[in-house]
Amino acid sequence: MEFFSPTSLEEAYRALSADEAQCLAGGQSLVAMMNLGLVSPRRLVSLRKIESLRGITRQSDGSVRIGAMTTHAELANLDLPGAPASLLANAACVVAYPAVRMQGTLGGSIAHADPAADYPVVLTAARASVEIGSPLGPRLTSASDFFRGVFETALQHGEIVTAVVLPSPEVGAGAAYEKLSLVAGDFAIVSVAAIVAETARIAIGGCSPKPMFASDIDLTDDAILIVGKRIAMDSDPPSDQRASAAYRRRVVPELIRRAVRAAQASA
Amino acid sequence: MNDRLALLVKVNGELHEALASPAATLLEVLRDQLSLTGTKRGCNHGVCGACTVLIDGKLARSCLALAADVGEREVTTVEGVADGVSCSAVQRALIESGAIQCGFCTPGFVMALTYLFASDPRPNRETIRAALSGNLCRCSGYVKIVEAAERIAEARV
Repeated sequence: MEFFSPTSLEEAYRALSADEAQCLAGGQSLVAMMNLGLVSPRRLVSLRKIESLRGITRQSDGSVRIGAMTTHAELANLDLPGAPASLLANAACVVAYPAVRMQGTLGGSIAHADPAADYPVVLTAARASVEIGSPLGPRLTSASDFFRGVFETALQHGEIVTAVVLPSPEVGAGAAYEKLSLVAGDFAIVSVAAIVAETARIAIGGCSPKPMFASDIDLTDDAILIVGKRIAMDSDPPSDQRASAAYRRRVVPELIRRAVRAAQASA
Repeated sequence: MNDRLALLVKVNGELHEALASPAATLLEVLRDQLSLTGTKRGCNHGVCGACTVLIDGKLARSCLALAADVGEREVTTVEGVADGVSCSAVQRALIESGAIQCGFCTPGFVMALTYLFASDPRPNRETIRAALSGNLCRCSGYVKIVEAAERIAEARV
């Protein structure tokens, strides 16, 4: 294996143009998979020394651009007003364990695209965009288009996730992230992100190859339950060592109700 | 490919040379090349916490850090938390509370608690438990470990 540690994006794109070259961000998924013998990249390109992949900036239109190499621990301490930012911060607090949160990154996690991970769900609910960089320049993709399936994203060979862009804060909206897991720090059995103002919009993780999404949900118990049951029915959850598919379907409506009510309470 | 990289890693304040495969983890280099065997290899995929070290003062799984990617950053292992003569406050509290059974997980817990008390001198029980959530003790001796941490927090009134 070859190891590259470029200090600029241009250098990184050059190093990534080789066959079977792969980005290394915080390493918290990729190195685990290498240790388990699941992947053995021919060339690793570390993004650690590229300054332009760091930093959080509020843009003139009110949106917030978060560099891909921002760690979970940094996001957990994100102190920005508004529902999308608080939702992301809530999720970052429950990604894995303290040591993983201090090394793992937003960009690395979403490029890996584990269907039980936390960010795909919150970014879908937040209607965030993913900035993808390539030698041709950056392009923006909505989170719902970025996540394509199990460990599958819109990233093409040689491209890098350079940032995530959160839309500007919604006035009066509240947000919450409900994660059901076996123990603190584990991947979700099912998780629900909700943003609630006059109506609710939600994304559900752990129940399908990519997050499910629903919007314009009325805030009555009945309306929430109907949506919950419909999503449970439409979902395609896995049966694995954490829970059966039937169990996942069963808990979806209640988890949605909790997320919506918690989001309302936080507004 | 067995290409080896010549690496310089700063561990516990000392600069070390190592020759390692580009895919070698920091854990492998610490144990096999630098003979710093206090850091333990448990699950080797980031779940158990036995290999926890500090990189530039932040907690890290040494099994999930590639040695080649450590670069200029400073690594602190369990060998580096005390002054070489007496135990650190965390180590002393673990001994005095009987918070060690087989001892395999202990270095990881020492590092997690060392980080905790560096960032929060007087954590409450909930904070302590959250700070230890990434470390497994297969003897299941968690009660004594939390008590040891509370003992340190109380001593700092």
